Amino acid sequence: MMNHIRRLLVSGKIDLFLAYKSIAGHPLPHAFTKDNLNELEDIHFGSARYPLEKIAAGLSAKNPDLKIGLLSRDCTQRALNVLTVWNQLKPESIEVVNLNCCPSSLKEHADCSYLSPQATGRVKKQIGIDNNVTPQEAEAFNRRERFDRWSYEFQKCIKCYGCRDICPVCFCTECSLEHKDLIGTGNLPPEVPIFHLVRAVHMAGRCVDCGLCEEACPADIPLRLLYRKVNEIVTELFDYRTGVSSGQAPFQVLGETVTLETRPIEAA
Amino acid sequence: MEVKFVPSVCSYCGTGCGVLFQVVDGELVSTLPLKTHPVNQGKLCIKGWNLHEYITSYMRLKHPLVKAFGRFIRSGWEEVIQLTAERLKEVVDRHGPDSVGVLVSAKITNEENYLAQKFARAVIGTNNVDHCARL
Repeated sequence: MMNHIRRLLVSGKIDLFLAYKSIAGHPLPHAFTKDNLNELEDIHFGSARYPLEKIAAGLSAKNPDLKIGLLSRDCTQRALNVLTVWNQLKPESIEVVNLNCCPSSLKEHADCSYLSPQATGRVKKQIGIDNNVTPQEAEAFNRRERFDRWSYEFQKCIKCYGCRDICPVCFCTECSLEHKDLIGTGNLPPEVPIFHLVRAVHMAGRCVDCGLCEEACPADIPLRLLYRKVNEIVTELFDYRTGVSSGQAPFQVLGETVTLETRPIEAA
Repeated sequence: MEVKFVPSVCSYCGTGCGVLFQVVDGELVSTLPLKTHPVNQGKLCIKGWNLHEYITSYMRLKHPLVKAFGRFIRSGWEEVIQLTAERLKEVVDRHGPDSVGVLVSAKITNEENYLAQKFARAVIGTNNVDHCARL
């Protein structure tokens, strides 16, 4: 893989390669270039996970002619697809090198920081929502209890905006979560549950289920579970699989007109 | 285009979260949490997430200012230090050393904080020393 990256850099097919380099024991994102080929010796292939595609989109916005290569996981691929259909990246300026990721029946081993979920504590199990359950399991509670449990999770929020800041597919220059007419800004806890539900709605047809938001959440809110649910609805109603289906999601928050036509005919 | 990632420690409070700065062509453009840092384990608060913003903020003070006639007037260091010393002396003489309090900062170094408390105790003569990150 190292030789492949070296060839890409030397041939000029890419200007820089985003991957990880081990610095003092910490695998950190690093931009490898043709001028520093010897640094490739220290390239790190492991479970480190930073939003490289978001960094690439940021660099591309600054310099559209830059050819960027990046180390890619399955979630990175999906995020790149979403960024491409939303015109944040030109597919011709991106070159991916795939990493062993997401275990399947063909490959059991994978390099990802998300594979071993943290054990859920007793209190969270009793009055909150377990981060490691499926959307169906989380829906097993009755309405009232479900609302109470989710409210408990949401009121822990310290409004760091980390979920948005680390999200590879959050690219809007103006964010609803910072708009004072839409969300009460400045107060803690944020408006429960509106703050989180606004983000959840915006994640419908956008979220690539990478789990970076949940990893970055200081309050341990089951964000991935929430966005998984909204994406399930999008798949059910519009037959759209985020990051896999081509084209923009039929459910759009952006744009002049909002259409809510259901897609699959057989769903009736 | 030169792209660098620089690991650092958050300068806001005494917790010491690990952060990663993205530097593009010598300009700090974004902050990420350091995922493998033992203190914050890939998480940050809102201050940490926005560390890169204050570096280039237009609201930063770049020169010493003196408030006179209700307005801030640009001045030189010599003059400002002299003025501060005189005014502090005046207050201590009139109201006693305990009328002065010293508030130190997490944004300055350990050594500077030490000097500040030494200044409060040995020069002014008060124990009124506090720190914004006395969590």
